[in-house]
Amino acid sequence: MVIENKDRNWGMVIDTDKCTGCNGCVIACQVENNVPLNDQNKFERGRVMSWMRVERYWEGEFPEVKARFIPIPCQHCANAPCEPVCPVYATYHNNEGMNIQVYNRCVGTRYCANGCPYIVRFFNYWEPIWPEEMRNHLNPDVTVRSRGIMEKCSFCIQRIRRGARKAKEENRELEDGEITTACQDACSTQAITFGDLNDPESKVSKLSKDDRSYTLMPHLNTDPNVIYLASIKENKEEFQEEKANSHD
Amino acid sequence: MQQRKSVTQEYTNSVLLNGTLETPKWWPYLVSILSFFVLVGIGLFFVQIYYGLGVTGLSRPVYWGLYITTFVFWVGISHAGIMISAILRLTQAEWRRPVTRAAEILTIFSLLTALVFPLIHAGRTWRIIYWLLPFDFARGIWPNIRSPLFMDPIAIGTYLTGSTLFLFVALIPDLAVLRDRTTGLRKGFYTILAMGWRGNPRQWKMQVVGGILLSALMLPIFVSVHSIVSWDFAVTIGVEGWHSTIFAPYFVIGAVHSGVSAVVTMMALMRWGWGWNDFIRPEHFDALARLLTVVATAWLGFTFLELLFSLYGLDAPEIALREMQIFQYPWNMLFLLFLLTGFIIPVPMWLFKRVRTNIALMFWSSIMVNIGMWLERFLIIVPGLSRKTPFVFTWESYTPSWFEWYILFWSFCWVTLLMLLFSKVFPLVPLFEQKESEVFSDSVKIGRANVPTIFREEEE
Amino acid sequence: MINQKKHFWPPSDPAVVRTELINNTKKGGSTLRTIVVSLVLLSLLIMVGIIGKVIIDGNDQTQWGYVAAILAFILSATGGAPMVAIAPLIAKASWARPISRIAHIIGSVSIVNIIIMIPILRMLPPLIVDGTRRRSIWFEAPNYSPHFWDTLGLIMLAITGMALLYSSSIPDFAVMRDSSDGIRKKIGKILSRGFIGTTVQWSKLRMRIGILSTLYFFVLVFVHFIISVDLSMSMVPGWKDAIYPMYHTMSGIQGGVASVIILSWIVRKYGKNQNYITINQFWALGRIMFATSLMWIYFFYSAFIVFWYGRSESDAAWLDLLIRGPMMYVFIIAMLCSFIIPWWWLIWNRVRNSFNGPFIGAIIVLIGLLLDRIRLYVPSWSVNPKLIHDKWLTEIPKILYPDIWDVMIFIGSISLVFLIIIGLSRILPLIGVWEIHQLNLLSKPGKFMKAHGIRVAKPD
Repeated sequence: MVIENKDRNWGMVIDTDKCTGCNGCVIACQVENNVPLNDQNKFERGRVMSWMRVERYWEGEFPEVKARFIPIPCQHCANAPCEPVCPVYATYHNNEGMNIQVYNRCVGTRYCANGCPYIVRFFNYWEPIWPEEMRNHLNPDVTVRSRGIMEKCSFCIQRIRRGARKAKEENRELEDGEITTACQDACSTQAITFGDLNDPESKVSKLSKDDRSYTLMPHLNTDPNVIYLASIKENKEEFQEEKANSHD
Repeated sequence: MQQRKSVTQEYTNSVLLNGTLETPKWWPYLVSILSFFVLVGIGLFFVQIYYGLGVTGLSRPVYWGLYITTFVFWVGISHAGIMISAILRLTQAEWRRPVTRAAEILTIFSLLTALVFPLIHAGRTWRIIYWLLPFDFARGIWPNIRSPLFMDPIAIGTYLTGSTLFLFVALIPDLAVLRDRTTGLRKGFYTILAMGWRGNPRQWKMQVVGGILLSALMLPIFVSVHSIVSWDFAVTIGVEGWHSTIFAPYFVIGAVHSGVSAVVTMMALMRWGWGWNDFIRPEHFDALARLLTVVATAWLGFTFLELLFSLYGLDAPEIALREMQIFQYPWNMLFLLFLLTGFIIPVPMWLFKRVRTNIALMFWSSIMVNIGMWLERFLIIVPGLSRKTPFVFTWESYTPSWFEWYILFWSFCWVTLLMLLFSKVFPLVPLFEQKESEVFSDSVKIGRANVPTIFREEEE
Repeated sequence: MINQKKHFWPPSDPAVVRTELINNTKKGGSTLRTIVVSLVLLSLLIMVGIIGKVIIDGNDQTQWGYVAAILAFILSATGGAPMVAIAPLIAKASWARPISRIAHIIGSVSIVNIIIMIPILRMLPPLIVDGTRRRSIWFEAPNYSPHFWDTLGLIMLAITGMALLYSSSIPDFAVMRDSSDGIRKKIGKILSRGFIGTTVQWSKLRMRIGILSTLYFFVLVFVHFIISVDLSMSMVPGWKDAIYPMYHTMSGIQGGVASVIILSWIVRKYGKNQNYITINQFWALGRIMFATSLMWIYFFYSAFIVFWYGRSESDAAWLDLLIRGPMMYVFIIAMLCSFIIPWWWLIWNRVRNSFNGPFIGAIIVLIGLLLDRIRLYVPSWSVNPKLIHDKWLTEIPKILYPDIWDVMIFIGSISLVFLIIIGLSRILPLIGVWEIHQLNLLSKPGKFMKAHGIRVAKPD
């Protein structure tokens, strides 16, 4: 279902320097995409579902310790390891640079989840249940997934489609920054930027060429569409030296 | 070989058909108990379908657990049949003869069981038709042939078809014997299956040629099945410890190890259950144990290479994974148990002829090997997933639920039940192979020694 | 007898066998002398080549790939040969007896490897390069471990090979002592060490050959393992391939079988041994070479599919370096000669059941083996030594052509191999006298009803 006649390559830039680890993006995503609620039992059994998660790590030695955060959604790899292993084409790459999960096709082999090095794919172990008072809060644009299938971040594809349709009705091109993802809207420090990487004038493509930019696990050659900006070091030389030394 | 006792053909017929034409006393009891367990298992499977896979102990990222382990285990067991029947037939090993049938049906029934496990494992079993059959022409979507998971059913299906044919070709002469000894409906059944076998030279020739051709054709399939199963894991770059080039031969040799051990277990049970002491003799256990010693040593070599090259890269995540697999509780206990039961206890035992010809010891050591081989698969699949990548927040351990344990138990009951039902309809030891071996073997005096000989026909 | 050419059988009279085979060692003529003299001269090229290469390229490690490839080729083509004698010994098959001496002789030329190893020792980078330890199987071992162990391994292989040849020739030395005179009698007397064929001596000898054979196999696997990893894999950053040592060993055994076929063909044709080396040997050897060719592709593909499917940076670098990179055409021809042509050639029973069929197949296999070794070793030595600590290979080297010194070393080492074999054949009969006696005792052509065949005795 392509509405526009244009080669898009949707991508996201996440500035880890701006990230405060507030988990706002996680909640926003949960609400926007009808992701089932995580209760205590799910945490205990390791079956938490959150399409966006914030990993925390420490930098430096005690007592000079800094907490750093890195929000991780699906990386929408151009060379995705999850795609070729699905026996039913439930996950595939569309021509807008996104990694699509088709819920109807999925039979739940969970092979894609094993292929994914970023662990951003989630399996519905049970039929999702919301408390009575929340049932009317579900987003009508997003399918509620049943038990036994995989799901993952879709780059808020419903918002992309809505935006594209609106632009078409108004007979104009989509503007850069017109489409925002739920996590981007919720980010209090505007660490997340979303847009078309194919458009050289867009904010994301400019940010992605920043010399702080990097991708996760480049040695796997997955070529992700989610690009991170490294946190700023006080000492610029130190940063450049580190960048020159690290292969990955 | 010296202890062989000459038996007449009538005696062979009457003894080897005692499970088919008569019913052993224990048979009805055992079959009913096993049927009960099997039915409970099927019921539980439907419970799982109804509620979802939450009933298992799986989590994120340990998405594959006991079900896949057991799947790999049963595919491994299925390598018994072709190893014994085809390879030993092509290399003309004489001692294979009484074992072939048992090995072949073990292959077929373990494959049937293995095929069930991906179904049990999948999230939406009722939709699995998408995966197995390229049928949905209207949407123009075909199964993804790049996926090893799609190649699995194809490889297993081919292997199953081939093994069934192979078994059938070897059954025909025995079916004719049964046809001549039954009446009524059963006679009709055997008459159809025996396809007019009269035992004339032309028919024998066709049967032999068919057997040899099928053996040769089955060999590549034999190797491919477990290789493809191993590539389910090896092609994945996301999991530490899985992306290893040695997996295919390593899995195949491990499969032969566990499959041949399972045949030993079965032979001991057949000897005890039906009293076929004159046909399944200690010398057969001896030969199988020698074969197992070689196979086990080769397998140990592959295990060593697999571990060595996982450390070779000096990647921190991989080293962390191995550290957990080998040194951290409870994995260290499992790893120790795996090494002990897979190699360290049984193989030195088999070095002694006294052990090799002792049926009880062979029975227990072969069971031990299969415990070890099951653990091997478990130790490959689960630790790799639970320490998948450097993202420590998603490290997760895995405890199988009682549900999964029961399904594992169910699979053993199911295979045993199928085997017992088979034994009621078809003889478990090939009669004609036994008679042929009787005719072909002789002995010759060389110096003072009396040496057994075998006649080998030369093919033109 | 259906086919006359198939039913050559060694003379059953021990005295005839003895005189015929012993006399073969005494024959000589001007042709032989010319051959020996030219081989001696050609063998000297090896020294010229090494010295020249050390002077010209002594400081540039990247130029030495071809020398390493020659070492690996000689090791693979000769080291695996005794397996042709060892495997049937373990399986108690007697068809290989007429050619087991040939196999042992080929296996005992490993001294050539040691000569080529000397300059390589100088060129091989140490474990600690630029103050950092490089990736290798030696982990924390002392700095020059690969140099030490590779040399020690080659020496062990040479010693075991010669010990195996010597042990399996003791009865023949005794025959030489008893049935010749002059210098030969003296040599026979010294080397047979009082062997007069008592029961105790025979059982001791059999045990000794058994132990040495097993030892040889393990040493062979070990040497292939360390040579393949130290001299090629660990020189390429990011190349982590657990199946590679087994692949190397397997193609080594394939090459060994090919060498045995070639030498047996020469010995049969020019040594007037038509009665001793018969179609049975060629048929069986053809089958083994067919089987090893299939194993070659299996082991190759096991690695290939994992890298090709994995697509990570290091996986892609492996493909770029060894398959589609500088050596693409060499790889294609190696693939053709090691697998595709032998496969489609030896699959035909008519081809395997002849003398020239397996011989042609063997020559093709050896060409494939040489090219395969070149494809593996030359690019890995050509890698820029500055990159050795990288996580994966970022810069694929250009194609490197052999220079005159490489060609000299190659010709010299091949000549030296032949020189050693011819030299040994002047002392030892190329067909074991006692092996033929055993063959005559243990198997006889016979008839059963209307079928022709062989009656094989299987002593415990």
